[in-house]
Amino acid sequence: MGSVQTDQVTMTSSTASRSYLGSAKSVLLLAAGAFMLANMYLIFMWAPTEAVMGHVQRIMYIHVPMAWLAFLAFFIVFVGSIMYLWKRESRWDMLASSAAELGVVFTSLVLITGPIWGKPIWGIWWTWDARLTTTLVLWLIYVSYLMLRAYSSNRSQGALYSAVLGVIGFVDVPIVYFAVNWWRTQHQRLVIGTGSLEGSLNADMRTTLYFSLLAFTILFSFLLWQKISMKRTEEDLRSIRYSKELTRGARIER
Amino acid sequence: MIALITTPANNIPYLFAAYAVTWAIFFGYVFFTSRRQHELEQEVRLLRDTLERGRISEDPDASN
Repeated sequence: MGSVQTDQVTMTSSTASRSYLGSAKSVLLLAAGAFMLANMYLIFMWAPTEAVMGHVQRIMYIHVPMAWLAFLAFFIVFVGSIMYLWKRESRWDMLASSAAELGVVFTSLVLITGPIWGKPIWGIWWTWDARLTTTLVLWLIYVSYLMLRAYSSNRSQGALYSAVLGVIGFVDVPIVYFAVNWWRTQHQRLVIGTGSLEGSLNADMRTTLYFSLLAFTILFSFLLWQKISMKRTEEDLRSIRYSKELTRGARIER
Repeated sequence: MIALITTPANNIPYLFAAYAVTWAIFFGYVFFTSRRQHELEQEVRLLRDTLERGRISEDPDASN
C-alpha cells in the first residue's frame, strides 16, 4: 500500500515537473521563432547587398551559422562521449547521441546550401576542394555514428562503440575549420573568427551574421532539448515495459 | 581558382532555393520529432495506467 502511494507521489511530482519543462520548452520555441523572424528581416531588409556576388551572398547568413552549430553539436558529442566512457551513465549517452543527430542535420544543410551558393559563383555545384571534402568526411563520420547505434544488437554495446567514434570523429572538426587556411583551394578563406582575414567583412554584414548565429543557437537549443526529452521518454517506456514484464512474471510464479 | 559570377538578378532563384530547402528541412524535423514525442508520452501514460490498475486489482488495500 505504502509503495503504491510513494509511486503515486513520485508520478505526480514527475508529471508536474514535466509540465513545467514543457512550458519552458514552448517558451524557447517561441523565442526561436521570434528571433528567426527578426533574423529574416535583418538578412533581407537591413544587410547590404554584396557588390560582386549580389543577393545570393545572403546565403552566408544561414550557411555559416549552421556550420558553426554543427561544430558545436560535434563538440557536445565529444564531451558527452568522454563522460559516458568515464562514468557509464546513460544521460551522457543521451546527450551525445541527441547532439550527433542534430550535428548531422546541420551538416547536411551546410552541404546542401553550400553548392546552391557555389553554383552561380563558381559555376559548379561541387568540387573536391579541401573544405568541401573534409566536411563531407565529417558528415560521413557522424552518419556512421548514428548507423552504429541503430544497428547494434545490444544497446550498451552500441552506446560504447559510438562513444569511441564520437571521440575519434571530433578530430575532423579542427581540420574542417582550418582547411581553408592550410590548403588554398576553391573555398573562400575565413572571414570571421580565429585565423580570419582582418576587415574582410562589412560591419553591418558582421552584425547580421552574429544575430543569425544567435537566432540559430536558440533554435539549436530547442531542438537539442526536444531530442533529449524524447530519449528520456523512450528510456521511461523501456523501464515501464520492464517492470510490467516483472509483474507478469511474478504473477506466473504465484 | 574559378570565379564565374552571374549577375545579381540571375542568382535570386538560388537564394530562394537555399532558404526554402533549409526551412522545409527544419519544419519537417520539428514536426516529426514533436509527433514522435507526443506518441511516446501517450504510450507511457497508457502503460502506467495499465500497471496501476493491475496493482490495485491484485492488492485491494492499495485502492483505499
